[in-house]
Amino acid sequence: MDVLRDQNWLLSLGTFLPLAGVVIMLFIPKRDEESAKLVALVTAIATVAVGAYTLVKFDYGQSAKLQFFTSHDWIRPIRATYTLGLDGISLPLYFLSMVITLLVIIYSWDHIPSPGNAKAFLMLMLVLQTGMAGTFVAQDLILFFVFFEVVLLPMYFMIGVWGGEQRQYASLKFFLYTMFGSALMLVSFIALFIVTKGNTAEGGSFAFSWFQAHGPEIAKTTAIWIFAGMFVGFAVKVPMFPFHTWLPDAHTQAPTQGSVILAAILLKLGTYGFVRIAIPFLPQAAVKWAPAIAVLACIGIIYGALGCLAQTDMKRLIAFSSVAHMGFVMLGIATLTPLGVNAAVFGMVAHGLITGMLFFLAGSVKERYHTLEIRRLSGMLKQIPRLGWILGFCAMASLGLPGLAGFWGEFPAIISSWNPAQALVGDGKLDLFRVLTVVAALGTVLAAGYLLWLYQRTAFGEPNPEFTSHGSGAHSLSAAANHGDDHGSDLHDVNTYEWIAWTPLLIAIVVFGVYPQLMFKVIDPAVTNLMRVFGK
Amino acid sequence: MIAVAVTSTWYLVLAAVLFGIGLAGVMIRRNPLIMFMCIELMLNAVNLSFVTLANHLGDIGGQTTVLFVMVVAAAEVVVGLGIIVAILRRRPGATADDLSELKG
Amino acid sequence: MISALVASDFATPHVDYHALAPEIVLGVGICLLIVLDLFLAESRKWLVSTVAGLILLGAVLPVVTLGVIGSDVRSMFDGRYVIDNFSLVLKALFLLSGYVVVLMSSRDTEERTPYQGEYYTLLLTSIMGMVMMASARDLVSVFVALEFLSIPAYMLAAWRKRDSKSNEAGMKYFLLGVFASAVMLYGMSLLYGVTGSTRLVDIGQAVTGTDHLVGVQVLGIVFVIVGFAFKVSAVPFHTWAPDVYQGAPTPITAFLSVASKAAGFVALSLLVFLAFPAAKSVYEPFLWVLAAVTITVGNLLALKQKNIVRMLAYSSVSQGGFILMPLAVAGTGDARTSLRAVVVYLIIYAATNLGAFAVVMAVSRKTHSGEIASYGGLFNYAPGLAAVMTLFLASLAGIPPFGGWYAKFGAFKAVLEARTGAAYTLAVIAAVNTVVSAAYYITLMREMWMKPAPDGDESPVRVPRNLVAALVITGVATLAFGVLPGFSGYGAITGLAGAFGR
Repeated sequence: MDVLRDQNWLLSLGTFLPLAGVVIMLFIPKRDEESAKLVALVTAIATVAVGAYTLVKFDYGQSAKLQFFTSHDWIRPIRATYTLGLDGISLPLYFLSMVITLLVIIYSWDHIPSPGNAKAFLMLMLVLQTGMAGTFVAQDLILFFVFFEVVLLPMYFMIGVWGGEQRQYASLKFFLYTMFGSALMLVSFIALFIVTKGNTAEGGSFAFSWFQAHGPEIAKTTAIWIFAGMFVGFAVKVPMFPFHTWLPDAHTQAPTQGSVILAAILLKLGTYGFVRIAIPFLPQAAVKWAPAIAVLACIGIIYGALGCLAQTDMKRLIAFSSVAHMGFVMLGIATLTPLGVNAAVFGMVAHGLITGMLFFLAGSVKERYHTLEIRRLSGMLKQIPRLGWILGFCAMASLGLPGLAGFWGEFPAIISSWNPAQALVGDGKLDLFRVLTVVAALGTVLAAGYLLWLYQRTAFGEPNPEFTSHGSGAHSLSAAANHGDDHGSDLHDVNTYEWIAWTPLLIAIVVFGVYPQLMFKVIDPAVTNLMRVFGK
Repeated sequence: MIAVAVTSTWYLVLAAVLFGIGLAGVMIRRNPLIMFMCIELMLNAVNLSFVTLANHLGDIGGQTTVLFVMVVAAAEVVVGLGIIVAILRRRPGATADDLSELKG
Repeated sequence: MISALVASDFATPHVDYHALAPEIVLGVGICLLIVLDLFLAESRKWLVSTVAGLILLGAVLPVVTLGVIGSDVRSMFDGRYVIDNFSLVLKALFLLSGYVVVLMSSRDTEERTPYQGEYYTLLLTSIMGMVMMASARDLVSVFVALEFLSIPAYMLAAWRKRDSKSNEAGMKYFLLGVFASAVMLYGMSLLYGVTGSTRLVDIGQAVTGTDHLVGVQVLGIVFVIVGFAFKVSAVPFHTWAPDVYQGAPTPITAFLSVASKAAGFVALSLLVFLAFPAAKSVYEPFLWVLAAVTITVGNLLALKQKNIVRMLAYSSVSQGGFILMPLAVAGTGDARTSLRAVVVYLIIYAATNLGAFAVVMAVSRKTHSGEIASYGGLFNYAPGLAAVMTLFLASLAGIPPFGGWYAKFGAFKAVLEARTGAAYTLAVIAAVNTVVSAAYYITLMREMWMKPAPDGDESPVRVPRNLVAALVITGVATLAFGVLPGFSGYGAITGLAGAFGR
């Protein structure tokens, strides 16, 4: 596959720049929180600048090709290479990860969760950023694995140290689930390498291009087993239905910043793995696995929606809605058609924007009311109208209202499942997929149900007297100045840092909703290129 | 009287039996000193086995090995007795089962 | 017999002094150390540890020159003592981990024992045994090297003469160690009987596990492997390890769990690759079971430990299982890949585990406790120590980008290379065990990062300079092995002279 090698230092710079910030922060004394925040912010801005430069220099006419491609020897004895490259699928996710990190750091300016220690918190955030960006641009299986795992520890500490009441349990669960997935994933990666390299002692490579060329030649039964290992690894991360139980706990207990990053980017590492690795490398196994994936995806959609209806905690509800939304993404992938995978990639970005935003809101609500119990919240529109309206906007986006970004992830995914890839039709799976289309469509109705219900209960009606006794008017003006010193002063409307952090997301949700072609035209050539193995 | 030629096999069987006795002793006896003596018995069974095989094969290597084993065994006695005496001096009559401060 | 010996004219063996230089430096150094200790005033005994460290570094020097100057194999005494890439890498490993142990010991011994000269002399002697083990290619030299490294270690384990726990540790280590030697020796005598030679390569040609005297062959192989299984504390021969680790002085524990274990694995690799290559039908199933059981049982027992040293002891048992894995498929898989996996694992594991014990020492200077619960709040009052400990634990758990992942990767790759059902099963067992092991490493991380200090005492820890040096060396090594595993080329070791049918 031909690649574009112009400016091949760009991706390395964008990926490792945050680490430079981490190194500088090492030398800042713990007490000097302002400097730590400043360095983190500058690093994040610089990273986004590099990302923006990448956006500008990206050749949109050739988005099917890997651009800014660079390849060097890394670990010669095992034939792993340092190979980075960016195509239309990676580009939106790569840039999204940078933007989300920046916004989260801005949001952290006055929202460092208890027990404080801004320095360590922000350092972990920057390490996370390196891992996430690296995963999206790695074009070598071992490099991908390393980046994929780099995010594990920072996230674990973010949940475990800065999280809520049950943080230790939640972080342990997150850690062990992910670890389990990645152990099996690593075994299947190595197995894939060994099977493709043939009987020669030397030879073979871990580069993606090698597997794209040689993966489809593997015997079907072997491929199905290898796919199984990868499936577990990625499905835990997505998370798909039977492996999802860590997600609600992790989300509920994580600090706001952790939840945002988790929802917006980390979950996408799993779906990205399916799109980039599991399916193109093992197409013959993917055909066999696709029906199972599709069924699990639909179970996830319905289960997530029903789970939402049963929740009493706002953050937990959003977490369950993630399970449902990722179900749509997986359904799109399971169709093995360009349309479905396009929808899936779009859905990943849209879910990142919308659910990230929802978690920001949940964090701010928690900060103001000191509770997320839906029963106790009401009348937000009266008390803190701007926040209430933004919540309404995001709920609409999340339920897939046409004209907002969420719609373009779900609708094409459902459409595509009506007409899955020819290989699946040939396997006699057409009827199954058509049934699943109906189930998924039902899921969108349920989504509308739980989100509107949530909104109705929290935003409408009269404010809960529990929170009005201190009065909201008296404090809302001075809130930004003296927030946090006592309970009563917490009830203020959206403050400056929040505006700065949220506006880009809100704009993006509208822009991609009104003009989805903006992203589809970048994704589509790359997706079509990857899906060529399935014929039509 | 039947004259029986004593072949290498006899020695090897004897060595195996000695080794077995030593092995059983280590497993059964609980006095550290006696356990150690049983280990010495095993080492000597090894020596016998080496010498016999060396003689049988007409090779000098086995006999050389025995010299090394003997020297090493002597060094082990020095160290081992030192440790065992240090313990028995502090806790007279201690058996291997009594040494159970460390477990889990 | 004897007359034949007298009749044959005795030819002086060729001695390559450059090749023997590391051993010579060590031997002379040990003598110097004893003499120096005699003439030093009590107040200047600290000099002993400095000199011991310098001797070890001095012995590294010829290892480096040997590696740089000639890549050819230097063989002495009719191929019974060989210096090749394999042995050079391991000599360097033993000497450098010995140096780190000296760094860790210096402050500890100054405060606790008056016998510094003896301590370092024994330590150096034990290291010399290991250095010899790396070159031994004959049953006799393997045996002598093994005892050379073990006998001083027995004494070091019992070093705190007045501490009954240390006594107990020394005695258990001694009795089981000698017992294992006896079993191993009997196995050696059987192998000698089958082949008529003590040279490993000769044995390799005669022991095929198929034709004549097959029963004796099997017995010999099994006995020898059992003997070394004690040394590397493979389950079910591991019972001494936790007790000895807990009772011995902490630097010695680190030494035993890293260097002494590595020496055991070196001997096992020599046997597997040189002496038994044709008998894979015998040793492979045996090692397969040993590896699977060792990983699993070690992990399960580590899960319930409350004492950090015991936890690390069981963890090192289970890590040993990972090192056994490539050996269990050495015949059916790719032998070079297996050998490389073992060596790489030993190196990375040495850096990581020494570092973890260095942190244990640093923390216990403040808390005076070995309980895992005493690590609460470490992140608050000693963030640096908490961070490096996290690095070491993550490396042990195999999380990139810290060294351990590459070690585990190598082990998995070597196993999968065999492409048999048994190999795939072993890989999956090991993969699941990685998760179990993560559970107990994470317990300690949780304690450090998320719990408050148990006694509320948050005064900072004073870490002595030598210990800081040890932490820096091991920490940098652990990180470097993880990020750039192929950097120094150590991962490309395929040079075990005489192996792989050459």
